[in-house]
Amino acid sequence: MSQRGVWQLKRLTVNYCNWGGSSRGIRAFMETHLPAFKESNPQLEVVTEEIRGNRNERVVCVKNMTPEDVLECATKLRNSLGRKVLKLKTRHVTKHPSVQGTWTTELNL
Amino acid sequence: MATKRCFQTLARQSSIFSPNPSLQYLHRTLKPHLQTLTLTLASTSQTPKDDHIWHSLILSPNTHFAFARSFSSNRGNDTASDEDDGVGDSEDEDGEISDGEEVLTANRREYSVEEKETEAAAIGYKVIGQLERAERVFKDYEPVFAVIQIGSHQFKVSNGDCVYTERLKFCEVNDKLILNRVLMLGSKTQTMIGRPILPEAAVHAVVEEHALDAKVIIFKKKRRKNYRRTKGHRQELTKLRITDIQGIEKPDKTAPAKPEKSPPGKTEKASVKK
Repeated sequence: MSQRGVWQLKRLTVNYCNWGGSSRGIRAFMETHLPAFKESNPQLEVVTEEIRGNRNERVVCVKNMTPEDVLECATKLRNSLGRKVLKLKTRHVTKHPSVQGTWTTELNL
Repeated sequence: MATKRCFQTLARQSSIFSPNPSLQYLHRTLKPHLQTLTLTLASTSQTPKDDHIWHSLILSPNTHFAFARSFSSNRGNDTASDEDDGVGDSEDEDGEISDGEEVLTANRREYSVEEKETEAAAIGYKVIGQLERAERVFKDYEPVFAVIQIGSHQFKVSNGDCVYTERLKFCEVNDKLILNRVLMLGSKTQTMIGRPILPEAAVHAVVEEHALDAKVIIFKKKRRKNYRRTKGHRQELTKLRITDIQGIEKPDKTAPAKPEKSPPGKTEKASVKK
């Protein structure tokens, strides 16, 4: 849409996947209708990006932060694993909880 | 108390009103030495804008620090602010009186001497080894366990376990640590109990991440009293992966019987190459 002759949409990012089935429609659109759409809208910047599979992205807002704060943010992101932050069930995660055998009431040393 | 508070505000104003380089030089030279306040009672009656009087009286620039000391144990910012400019100096002094900013300055205190780091590490019962560079540190599971103490928490760990502790200050991600506070070692056949620690035992660990825990909301309410407070808190944690336990005899792991074709083939190839 345009307000007083100025187009409001400047950039269109088309994310698709080459492998997934749900991207069939968008892939067909890119082959058939997208070139015509680009030509009819020369003012619009259309970018196509292939996103294969899932992405794990963490977006941090650094609005109005000092350079030192931004460095701290970046360091924190680098130090973390990227896993979803859930409440810890236990502080000790192990696959082999017992070495000498689990204790039972019938245990005789 | 009133006289103390008066002097605090007056000292603050004087530091604002007199940004002379000579005075700032005085500040800098006198800071590390003078800790006490030697002010006569007559001076307190003077108006705050009499700068020439205050020049002689501001002999201990740490005066307003002295009052602030009651809130925090360490004033590490003295060394940091010595390096700042004169203008920055006065701004720091004004800002540090509030409680909130004192916590920030305490966190950013620099441990310049490496001995301090090792001492603090001894308190937390860890020694920083070297960083990892394409080494194979992660072994298979061995049926050996150790009881470890980190800070005030104790864990029973084995090879390949993950342990979440409070944030360990002097180590980065991918650092190798040696946890030297080992209270007990055990294997299938042997158990060694320390009194309270085993002196020749060592547990190797690698720092996996420094991250924040999930947010807990601390909600306080007093009913019918119009009192309700909500506070969010995220604890800083360190995840350690235990790689090796030393100090106890480990049972020999016999290699699984491989098909006999491959080893003779390999030896043949080796002989051919020679």
